[in-house]
Amino acid sequence: MSALDFVVLIGSMLGIAIYGIWRTRGRRSLNAYLHGDGRTPWFAIGLSVMATQASAITFLSTPGQGYLGGLGFVQIYFGVPIALIIIAIFFLPIFRRLNVYTAYEFLGRRFDGKTRLLGAALFLVQRGLGAGLTIYAPAIVLTTVFGWPLDLTIICSGLLVIIYTVAGGSDAVTVTQKYQIGIIFAGMVTAFCLLVAKLPAGLTFTDTLALAGGFQKLNAVNFSTNIHERYTFWSGLLGGTFLMLSYFGTDQSQVQRYISGSSLREGRLGLMFNAVCKIPMQFSILLLGVLIFVFYQFEQPPLLFNPASHQYLALHDDSGQLQALESGFQQTHNQARRQIENWLDARHNGDETGARTAFAAAAAAQQQGEAIRAQAEKTLSAANSGTTANDADYVFITFILHQLPHGVIGLLVAAFFAAALSSKSAELNALGSSTTIDFYRHLVKRDATDAACVAASKWFTAFWGLVAIGFALYAHLVENLIQAVNILGSIFYGVMLGLFVVAFFIRRVGGTAVFWGALAAQMLVFFLYYIYFNPRFFHPPISYLWYPLVGCAACVLLSLILQAALGATNKSAPASPVS
Amino acid sequence: MKHPAATEPSARESEETSLPIFRSWKSVYLLVLGSFVFWVTLLIALTEFFS
Repeated sequence: MSALDFVVLIGSMLGIAIYGIWRTRGRRSLNAYLHGDGRTPWFAIGLSVMATQASAITFLSTPGQGYLGGLGFVQIYFGVPIALIIIAIFFLPIFRRLNVYTAYEFLGRRFDGKTRLLGAALFLVQRGLGAGLTIYAPAIVLTTVFGWPLDLTIICSGLLVIIYTVAGGSDAVTVTQKYQIGIIFAGMVTAFCLLVAKLPAGLTFTDTLALAGGFQKLNAVNFSTNIHERYTFWSGLLGGTFLMLSYFGTDQSQVQRYISGSSLREGRLGLMFNAVCKIPMQFSILLLGVLIFVFYQFEQPPLLFNPASHQYLALHDDSGQLQALESGFQQTHNQARRQIENWLDARHNGDETGARTAFAAAAAAQQQGEAIRAQAEKTLSAANSGTTANDADYVFITFILHQLPHGVIGLLVAAFFAAALSSKSAELNALGSSTTIDFYRHLVKRDATDAACVAASKWFTAFWGLVAIGFALYAHLVENLIQAVNILGSIFYGVMLGLFVVAFFIRRVGGTAVFWGALAAQMLVFFLYYIYFNPRFFHPPISYLWYPLVGCAACVLLSLILQAALGATNKSAPASPVS
Repeated sequence: MKHPAATEPSARESEETSLPIFRSWKSVYLLVLGSFVFWVTLLIALTEFFS
């Protein structure tokens, strides 16, 4: 990176943080600190919800997903519109009517204190433990590529987000997210335009799509009913709706964003903005990856995109295997490129048979190249280098670094950091709010004044920020970080959603039944997690991707059974949507 | 300690969107579902046409 890139990066990050602190100075009441000033319009809420969900790894990894696997990944977002409509109809009006600070406060009103604490505790454990990843994941990719010190990058970005989130509370998160998402979009649109400009001159738009489609990169929708296939229309629509409902409806980091609107209308429109924009946004990011794939059909790509992996192989290559692999990879690439140029000529001359023959030869050469790349990854894995990050994570950053001009590089690295800070700040704000409202004010000091609660919230936000930095500093000890955090989320999300499903839709179930039902359901999920790693007890083990469904269904069923056993002695349900 | 005055959504606010064309929430939800169907159709067309 050049001095210009550093000026763009540091200037934009510090500028947004300082502006956020300045704009939100003097927020002293608890309502203003946790809910904002009550004037947040729907557009700001929409951007805030979007910025909270899209972390840095979304923008770093998704183009790599498009490069390697094509557009099929977009199917996991098919559940977003349906989930957000359900939340806008049922969840949001109740949260607003009760004027709650946290989603778990609603559980307290609907059921009782112990159920509220259970919901809040599940959120704090899950989000608190996973908090470090939001900082660590982009830091490990960027420091590997640029050679920056990892610990210093984590500490600097972590402290920056703590400072402005603690200073300005919920409003600081919303205000900064608005500009951070502006930087993200500016960076991604610039990269997209420059990439299109870099494609060969003779390649038309339809040629580009035909080339990508020929390599199966435009297979966006798969109607297969095979449950072993990861991304299908059905798993996206059914599993995706379930997953997004859990995330947007019960995770305080999202709930706090959309309940901060000035009215029900603003919150609903903010959610609908995301319901409309999410699929096209993810499609565009994946398409960017597909276009990078097309670009690298005409330019020599590296054998491995992760420079650390390549360096490791080079250092341990006593037998000259790496050199042989690289030479073979280059040969197959040149062969594929020649055949693609033949295909293009034949296509433009209307020679269909020639085009088909040339494309088949190009596809065969491309397949050989992929086999060589797979062999290199296998060699790396056998050498047990400790390189855990997926090579797909490095595709986009490699393209940026080697193909884009200085200044734009700085803008895109700023975009990745903006994405990391925007989701981190919302998480810290939610963790601090829930600890203050659901534990400190509910258990420790019931008569706490607004000023005392604001002070406590600031301390708790800083505490969770430091926990996140600490976790990020030691995250390399976890063998497969992303899988670990995904498993962590899957373990707790199902039961959390189960609590809210019972609260909203099953009026006859009371606090005691749902509390013990949720605990029993959580035990069941823990048991499934145990046998997942000890498959000798139960084979084949149930994948952790099913845990949310199992947890939610078990929580609802067990609550109903326990309520039937306890009798109809439940507390009245003033918050129920049917009341 | 009590919460500050709750922003009770009025019946009118629950029903009306104050948008120029889509006046009821039902029509907004239909618009969202329509956009979802549009994108899925577009993606299916892309899959079928270029694969």
